[in-house]
Amino acid sequence: MEILRIEGLSKIFGSGHLEVRALEDIKLSVSEGDLVALLGPSGSGKTTLLLCISLILDPTGGKIVFDGQTIFQKNGWAGVDVRRTRREKIGFIFQSHNLIPFLTAKQNVLFPLSLIGLKKEEAESRAMELLRYMEIVDRADYLPALLSGGEQQRVAVARALANNAKLILADEPTASLDTSRGKKVMELLKKIAKENRSAVIVVTHDVRMIEGFDCVYQLKDGRIVDEKTNSA
Amino acid sequence: MDLAVYDLKLHRGRFIATVLGVGLLFTIVLAMNGLYRGNIHEGLALIKATNPDLWVVERYRGGPFNEQSTLPEFYHYSVKAMAGVEKASPFIYYTVERPIGAKSQQFSIIGFDIFGGLGGPQKIYAGRNIEQAHYEMVAHPKLGARVGDRIPLGIHLYTVVGLTREAVSSNGDPLVYLSLPDAQEVLFQRDNEQMRNQRERLLRTLSGQSYLSPSQSEKLLPQLQSDTHIINAILVRLKPEVNRAEVARDIEKWLYLSAFSTEEELALMLKGRLASMAKQLLLFRTLLLIISVIIVSLVIYTFTMEKIRSIAVMKLLGAPNWVIIRMVMEQSLLLTIGAFLFGLALIHNTYQLFPRTLLLIPDDDLVTFIVAFAGGIIASILGLWHALKTQPAMALGG
Repeated sequence: MEILRIEGLSKIFGSGHLEVRALEDIKLSVSEGDLVALLGPSGSGKTTLLLCISLILDPTGGKIVFDGQTIFQKNGWAGVDVRRTRREKIGFIFQSHNLIPFLTAKQNVLFPLSLIGLKKEEAESRAMELLRYMEIVDRADYLPALLSGGEQQRVAVARALANNAKLILADEPTASLDTSRGKKVMELLKKIAKENRSAVIVVTHDVRMIEGFDCVYQLKDGRIVDEKTNSA
Repeated sequence: MDLAVYDLKLHRGRFIATVLGVGLLFTIVLAMNGLYRGNIHEGLALIKATNPDLWVVERYRGGPFNEQSTLPEFYHYSVKAMAGVEKASPFIYYTVERPIGAKSQQFSIIGFDIFGGLGGPQKIYAGRNIEQAHYEMVAHPKLGARVGDRIPLGIHLYTVVGLTREAVSSNGDPLVYLSLPDAQEVLFQRDNEQMRNQRERLLRTLSGQSYLSPSQSEKLLPQLQSDTHIINAILVRLKPEVNRAEVARDIEKWLYLSAFSTEEELALMLKGRLASMAKQLLLFRTLLLIISVIIVSLVIYTFTMEKIRSIAVMKLLGAPNWVIIRMVMEQSLLLTIGAFLFGLALIHNTYQLFPRTLLLIPDDDLVTFIVAFAGGIIASILGLWHALKTQPAMALGG
């Protein structure tokens, strides 16, 4: 089942002689269980595309269909509450984990659950279940500062999974990791995509990891210049 | 999920330090409230305790407390003779500084007619009232004297026969009640050397007059000594069912004096001596509250700026604005309320250590709390403004 479809997406910053075409005629499609990479050097437009998919940045043109609903077309967000969509349907994993430093590991996972209004007992049980799934349950009551980088990464993933997201967006999740740790993260993301039936889009410029993806979109100067599909 | 509390737990050291610092500012604000009330209370206490029907003072003077008023003592006979007046008593009031025990102390002396006159101490809680015409006193316990103590004033020793805490002087000094002649003597009695000099000077002036022989000058000398039968006011009790305003008008018209009711006397103080003090304390309190709000707002701004990336993450995860607003505002209010409660507890446990009377009343505490609470909300505005304009995109990237 298709989770995300983007057609002819463009993003232009500025106007006149200051105009910068950050994205131009982007087309892509991601289905559940897919692990997709947006690959490209700095300035290729991958972060801009991620911001558009995250519903943070308004595209200039094109169409976004998410979870069977057209959420953006020419005239803007089609009556969509972007924050609500984010908190209910999208999960985020960041390069620097971005755990909230004053919340424990468990509370970090509980935070998105509290936003979707889950009852306390139910939320606690779900958070512990996710931490167990990520094999970090023994660190549930630790503050992020007391966790190693790998442990923080696992808590961040647990947080991204908390709302049963249809789409998980990962921003350079392997950038600061060595090859073996990077591969472990990729395996984890693949596992999440398959087991949770989510679509995972990873923004990366880390060419070491491209073998693990189901599909790799290569961006250059704001355009998709190559699309590779790896058969399983 | 109470994000504000979790954040403060992580920064509890800084939070507590700020609460203590701002709390001390609130302590000063509350102390000034108490000082204001205390000054008003003390400034009016003697007038309220004395409470005659009329205060008769020198014409066009707002005396005897708000302004100096000087009258010859015998004027009280004239006032007594006015229609409607039941009793008219001479009254003298002045401030002195004299050594009491080991230290020099400022206090106010009241001289009154001890034989049934008005203006004496009403409630004596230890000892008795003055019964002898001379050398007895009733004192306020703040003077540090006990019943039976003998205190030197001028050239005589005065025995403390009673203690009263009914009132203090308008500037908070303890009161000492003396018989009128004693009070006049303490006020006007001069040093022997000074008296000799004055006599010499006067004699020389008289001797220079060609129409006076030396023996005539000598004879005239006692008549020309300065008069010590001076009072500051005449306290009047009216006969029952007499119109006070009419009697006051008659006194002003026929005796060329001014007469005020106790209410008017209180109003004179409130609009006069106490008004500038009240304005000054109000200004200080306002400034301190503004400083408190600025400090809280800077602390909250710093707290907010430190977690700006977390706020961006929260927004990216879809947190509605109210979650962010609640976090910032709750921190500001926790800080303000914590500081206020610390200040309140501190002042209520230390007010007796202040040299001036602090009169702490719940209404003032409540009003200060409301102002502080509003200040706490205002203080969070800067942090809120920054938090709300934070872009969720800030969470992305390394």
